[in-house]
Amino acid sequence: MLKVENLHASVGDKMILKGINLEVKAGEVHAIMGPNGSGKSTLASVLAGNEKFTVTEGSVEFEGENLLDLNIEERSRRGLFLGFQYPVEIPGVTMANFMKLAVNEQRKARGLEPLTAAEYLRMMKEKSAIVELDSKLTSRAVNEGFSGGEKKKNEIFQMAMLEPKLSILDETDSGLDIDALRIVATGVTRLKTKENATVVITHYQRLLDYIVPDYVHVLYKGRIIYTGDKSLALKLEKEGYDWLINDYKEE
Amino acid sequence: MVVERINEILGAKPVDAGGALSSGAYVICGDSATDVTVAEGTTAQLLIADAPGAIEINIDVERGANLSIVHLVTEHSSTNISIAVAEGGVCRMTQAVISSSDSRVVASLVGSGARFELGGVFVITDEDQTSVTVDVNHMVADTVSRTMVKGVASGNAHGSFSGLVYVAPDAQHTDSVQSSRNVTIGTARIETLPQLEIYADDVKCSHGATVGQMDVDAILYMRQRGLSLVDAKRLQIEGFVDDVVLHASVEGITDALTELLGEKLTRL
Repeated sequence: MLKVENLHASVGDKMILKGINLEVKAGEVHAIMGPNGSGKSTLASVLAGNEKFTVTEGSVEFEGENLLDLNIEERSRRGLFLGFQYPVEIPGVTMANFMKLAVNEQRKARGLEPLTAAEYLRMMKEKSAIVELDSKLTSRAVNEGFSGGEKKKNEIFQMAMLEPKLSILDETDSGLDIDALRIVATGVTRLKTKENATVVITHYQRLLDYIVPDYVHVLYKGRIIYTGDKSLALKLEKEGYDWLINDYKEE
Repeated sequence: MVVERINEILGAKPVDAGGALSSGAYVICGDSATDVTVAEGTTAQLLIADAPGAIEINIDVERGANLSIVHLVTEHSSTNISIAVAEGGVCRMTQAVISSSDSRVVASLVGSGARFELGGVFVITDEDQTSVTVDVNHMVADTVSRTMVKGVASGNAHGSFSGLVYVAPDAQHTDSVQSSRNVTIGTARIETLPQLEIYADDVKCSHGATVGQMDVDAILYMRQRGLSLVDAKRLQIEGFVDDVVLHASVEGITDALTELLGEKLTRL
């Protein structure tokens, strides 16, 4: 589904990604961990198409297409979803209006007719239940006045509405209490199918208690320096990154 | 088109030569000078639609009368509207400006308990040069005014807002709020000049003005969900002007106003 080869990216003069290789297949869950400043969020932003970053080398293939040729909305319409670490507030724009436009763009890209008002309402009701999102929030402005937990639930609600092929969740667990974490993680797990894939970027192992990854990658100084299975996350939680980083320096 | 639709929604009829409004809806359209009186205790609605050229209107809102005005500026024009509100009278005004123009509203609250409210939006693009002035004179004690004008400019457009709140020496207990909020896109310019001139000492007057840029993070967020750049910008600006449109002085015209502005917003 996603094939990243030797990806280099910079912001301004600063090179942040220095040769990422990553392959994600349908049905898989990948976790990306790593110390602060290692480039995790940059990787998510670059894959989503944030124009702040410049790709200087390497390639990214998504469903057989060159992802780097597409702008951010085209990537979204091909089925790539980014759960933001800091969801943005949009005053005056209601969730319901915003999502209706977004869902219908996705449907158009898939050759489907726009939803009728009744179909859309039914879909909102059904999908908001997945993350136990208070249905009143959909009539409020996007993320405005939402609590930290509501904002993150709202990200997963949008993921449920848009039914992406590949979801990249950028520190969706940060700032969540244990109940919200469970709800968000359970939501993500319920949305998992054989046809879609998830990349979870996280600092903490605890999210991976709920979202069990097939692979755990450690990102450090713009490269993936180690890949393991779910037991790697536990080891990192207990022992930190030093043993890996030290090994890496010796290389 | 939209002007005609609002006209139809209101079921407005032209103002008579004498200019006296009884209860009901009226329309003034075009290039003229008109004096209008809203008789004591009457509730009326007035649609003012400009035509190219100059238009001058004097409005008297008499004791206890209630007038709702919708002012649409869609042509290259110059408009002068003077409003005097007598004791216990209320004048609420919604103003939408989408073209190069010069519009000036002067509202004088001349009787105790008089109230004036104006919610305005100007959206300008390309080479538009637009100036919006709202002056409110609190001439006697116990009067209230609310002014909220939102401006959006793109391209080479140049907009300006000027708003004076004047409080006469004996106009104690004046309650006035004035706000000017603006968003510029690219190299467009908006100047805002809010002014207070207060000669009474027991008053509550506040004013605020901002000029900002579009929120690029919000646009990125919306595009990540599949919205085009144009749709994301339009949605953000719609959200920005939404409160003015939703609180329009006349019920039932929200959709028509949204359409009027929406057409212009696609050109941002």
